[in-house]
Formats: sequence, structure tokens, C-alpha cells
Amino acid sequence: MPALGSMNHSPATGVPDAPGSHRVRWIVVGAIALVLALIAGVAIYLSPVLALLEPHEPSRGRVAGVPAATPPPLDSKQRINILLLGSDNDQKFRQDALLSQTMIVVSIDPSTHQVTMLSLPRDLWVDIPGHTSAKIDLAFAQGGAPLARATVEKAFKIPIHYYAWVGLNGLVRVIDRVGGVDLDVLHPVLDDNYPNDFSDSGYGTERVYLAAGPQHLDGRHALQYVRSRHGDLLSDFGRSVRQQQLLLALQQRAAGMDLITALPTFARDLNGHVKTDLDLVRLTQLALFMRNLHPADVHQTYISPYVRDAISADGQQILLADWTAVHAYLRQLFGGDLLP
Amino acid sequence: MTPRPAVLFLSAMLALAGCTSSTPVTHDPGRVVLPVKQVPVPGRLYATKSRALFRFSGTALTRLRFGSTVKDPAVTPTGDRIAVAQLQDQSSTIVVSDPNGQNRQTLTPVAAAEGSLWAFAPGFDSDGHRIVYLSDRGKRPSSPQNLQPNDLGVWSYDFATGQSRRLVQPFAYTGGDSDPSYRPGVSDQLVYTTYLYGGVPTEAVARMTWMSLRTGATVYLSPDTGRSLEPALSPDGRFVAFIRAGAGSDDLYVMPLAPTYAREPQPYPSESAVLVQSGIIAQPVWSPDGRSIAFLMLTKGSFDLFILPIATDTAVHAAGAAQAVTHGSFLDADSRLAWSP
Repeated sequence: MPALGSMNHSPATGVPDAPGSHRVRWIVVGAIALVLALIAGVAIYLSPVLALLEPHEPSRGRVAGVPAATPPPLDSKQRINILLLGSDNDQKFRQDALLSQTMIVVSIDPSTHQVTMLSLPRDLWVDIPGHTSAKIDLAFAQGGAPLARATVEKAFKIPIHYYAWVGLNGLVRVIDRVGGVDLDVLHPVLDDNYPNDFSDSGYGTERVYLAAGPQHLDGRHALQYVRSRHGDLLSDFGRSVRQQQLLLALQQRAAGMDLITALPTFARDLNGHVKTDLDLVRLTQLALFMRNLHPADVHQTYISPYVRDAISADGQQILLADWTAVHAYLRQLFGGDLLP
Repeated sequence: MTPRPAVLFLSAMLALAGCTSSTPVTHDPGRVVLPVKQVPVPGRLYATKSRALFRFSGTALTRLRFGSTVKDPAVTPTGDRIAVAQLQDQSSTIVVSDPNGQNRQTLTPVAAAEGSLWAFAPGFDSDGHRIVYLSDRGKRPSSPQNLQPNDLGVWSYDFATGQSRRLVQPFAYTGGDSDPSYRPGVSDQLVYTTYLYGGVPTEAVARMTWMSLRTGATVYLSPDTGRSLEPALSPDGRFVAFIRAGAGSDDLYVMPLAPTYAREPQPYPSESAVLVQSGIIAQPVWSPDGRSIAFLMLTKGSFDLFILPIATDTAVHAAGAAQAVTHGSFLDADSRLAWSP
């Protein structure tokens, strides 16, 4: 290739090119360089995001005999269900056998622009596919997201299209990255035996106090709010209410953010603390959907009216569900979108 | 990855490009910011930011050096003394000083036989002889193997005797009571927020509560559903401003108080006048002359200080628009405001 800027000749005729064809060639070369630079820039920009979204733990097709829900096409108006899982992942637990302290099904209905959050109590006694009956939080510890997903699908008949898991540190980082959250703390939170996960042993406790009422919380205090249960008469149900409240606050906070500049840093912070099988396109689609969501479009739901306290054969305090009532309730929520 | 990666990748990029916010959330500047057009504050108004105490007076802003982290400032009606909850490592005490933070006196213990203690939300009575406050004193010792409730009750401290005594025993496992205040103009009445659970399905309920210190009788001033909290009494004791939590908002209301209560008022007068609606509002406090209410309101992700003029002629109502005293300052919305002449 001749050096740029030298006198060029047409190889066929030996006649010097007209000045106009120089300009065209410059434009073409410039355009190619621009596109290459753009692609490189986008690749560099997105590399932490793509690393985060790698399928760390493929969640489909591992558990035999359980219907695997296929995500609806991108341009579809069908309902999308995401299983949100949260765990203690400090040093006192084996990292490959974490209980899911939090299980929330987030159901997004693009046709009505409504979102339903359904909290699943961690002490709920269910059949875990391929295992004996146990508390639902054991499914994630025994088989990761695939088994947690299969267990929810089997017990609740809700097709789970995606999952997202976050550890304690991840949640704190997410909240701090968005600059904290604004929450109306429902009642004073006092806990003299709150687990201090960030102590050396992971077994320490600390005293926690949060005043009631509207306030701004950083990641550490928001985690205390959604995690403490010793001072709440409603115990795990009270905690579920607070967890959904935090999700709503996060959604509202993120809606006011400049995602395009924040996303790579965000993703770098979260690497290792978040796992999901959402791909970039779906994640972007959901982010845009959530961004325009009004709080009134989000419905917080619980199955607390349909469960009762019980003791398992091995002496554990558990919750037993009236499954007929639970499924009837879910049919009200999701209509015909449940599994057979 | 999906079957048409190039197309989807491009779609994602275009979508991301659309994610730039049109109304960006304010970020904490780490200091109190006054707007270009300053709103003069009559008297002396106290608030905290990042647990540091600030005084607004006229157009002047002063950071008071307490040497530690504090919340919940309170002042005597004359403004000659200030009280705060001084925070330490997993405990807090009530400390009283002169208005500049000097000549400090610690009123409550950091710990007792039952363990470390919390103390918050001090409030002076009309003559400055007593302080009402919150504490978890008297709880049973608790451990992860033997969990016990540790809820905040309402206590009072008498400067003459140096003694504290519990006035209200909280409901267990609710977090306890909040926002106690002596009623101005009388010596034997309290107003505070009671936290409990109610409704179907069961949920947290906050009820404004009136108490006679003479008989110990208590009367709820708001319904047994929903949350009415952070009552603030007018300087003449005739009105109470408070926050009512609604669907996605915390609105500022005001209602009249009867001279005394023998039973729950029916219907509850708690919806008599809404002053500011559809906002996230916290910590109302009356000006010493009763002609304004200051409060914190969430604006673009920041809790800022506002002052609302109030008229109490024929009926209590807002006499103008609320004016912003700070801008993007991220004041502590979980800490009370205090206002003295």
C-alpha cells in the first residue's frame, strides 16, 4: 500500500488519481479507523460488564424432571420472572454451599408495565428435586442456582427465566455505588446480637440501632436494615418486607443515575459478588424498563397468610404452606403464566 | 449469547446510550451548601450532617465542635442549653451543654449491668428542669444463644435530683417508642410515637400517643393502621405537626390538641390539615414564635432543610410556599431538628 500523502497513481492506467478520489479514500480510511477505535473503545468499556455477565453458573437443564423455563423473546410482551437470591457469603461459610437468606421472585409484565415482587420465606418446607424435603434455603446450598430455580418452579409453579445472586459485600457495594438509598424505616431497629460479618472470625456480633422514619442509608446501614430480625416481632416476614422496600429504593435511586458512565465501574466493583445468567441485551432491556417504572407499578406480595409455623421431624422450626391456597393466590397474581 | 450477536450487541449499545439520566441524583458534597439566594433563619436552628452539629442563624452557618458524633439536638425554650445524643462505639449517652457546645454534662450511663446502652432523642420541658429521652435501659441481657428484646422506652431525667426513671414501657420486639416531647405550657403531659404491629396482613404501625404524667394514662391520637410519626408540638402546645406515611410519600400534617384526653378522639383528628403532600418529609419542628415549621425534605436524593410559614388564625394552614435553607446538603434525616429564639 502506498504511503499516505504521496502522489498516487491508478494501477491500471498509471494516470494520477483525481483529487476527489483522494478525498474518498481518506474518508473511507478514516471511517474504518473510527469504527475500529469505536469497537475497541466499546470493548474496553464493556469488558468488566461482560465479565460480570459471564454464565458463572449455567442455571438451566441440570436438574432432571423439572420444566426448564425458556426466556421469552426480546420483542415479546410475555412475562419475565427473575429469581433474586441473597446469601451470607462471609468467611464462616463454605463458598460453594451458601444458604440463600433471601429469595424473591421479581415478575415483570411488559404488557401491563407492572412488576410484582414475591418473597419466599427461607424457612418454608418444600420438596427439593433430587433431595429430601427441607427448608427452601437449602436448595441453593445443595445445588446452587439451578437447584434453587428448580425448587421454586416445582413448589410454586412459577417459571423462572433468569436468576441473579448477590452476596453481602456485593449488596453493600451496589448501594454505596449508587450513593446510598433513601428509605422510610418502618420501625426502630434495635439488635444487640446483629451478626458482624466483617469481623475477623465472621462469628462476632455488634449492636445495631436505626431510627424509624425517612432517611438516607449507606450500604452498611441498609444491609443492617434488611438483615436484622432479632428485634422484629414478624421475624423473617418483617425482614422480607424490608428487603422488598430496599429493592424499590435501589430501583428509584438507579433511575436517577447516569448509567452509561457508571456501568463499568459498577461492574468492576461487583465482580465476584454477583452471579447472574442474564445476558447484556436482556439486562439492558430490563434496566431501561425499570428506569421508567413508577413506584405505584411495583406490587409487593408475600405468602404469609398461607403458611403456618411447625416443627419438622428433625426438630427444626419451619413454615408449612397451604399449597392449594398458595397456588390459587399465585393464579390471581400471574393468571395463566404458571407452569402446569 | 443469543443467535444474532452483532445486532443485539448494537441494540445494547444504543439502549445504553439512552441510559443517561435527565434528572441526575445529587451526590453528597461533604459539606452543608446554602443556596445562592439565602433564606435567613430567625433565631437559632440546629441540624446534623454526617453526625456533626450545625447551627443556622440569620444567614450564618456555624459548625459546633462537640468533639464526637452527635444526633438529635434539643434546646431549652430560652435557648440557654442544648442537649444531644452523643454516639460512641455501639452505645450513646445524653449530653447537655451551653449553646456553643461548652460546659458539657453527661446525663446517662454508657453501660449498666444489662450491657451497653443506647440513649437518643432528648427533649427539655418548658422550664428546662427535666429532659425526656429514649433508652433501652432495664432490658434483659441478651446473647445469640438467649435472645431478649431490647426496645427503646421513654425515660425522664430530673436535673434537681440527677435521677432517671422510666415513663413508658415499650411493646416488645417493635423497636420501641420514639420522638418523645413534653407538651409546652403544661407540666404533666407527653406526646410520643408508639410502634406496634397490626392489620391484616400484619404490618408495622406507628401511632401518635398522648400521656398524662400525673395519672400514667395514655391515649392514641392516630388510627391503629398506617404510620403517623415524629410529632412536633407548637410552642403554645395547641397543635402538633407530624409525618403521615402514605403510599410512596411521607407528608406533613398538623392537627389541634385538646387540653386533655380521657379517651381516644373519634374520629381521629389526624387528617385535619395537610401542609405538604407528595413529598418525603422528616423531622418537623416549630419556630419559637409558632409562625413557621422547619423540616427536612428529600430533593434529588438529598435531604435538605426547608421552612414553611404557618398561620393559625381561623384554622391552621400553610401561609406560603416552603423555602429551601440548604441545597444538596444531605442532612441527617434520622436526626431531629431543634429551634430556639
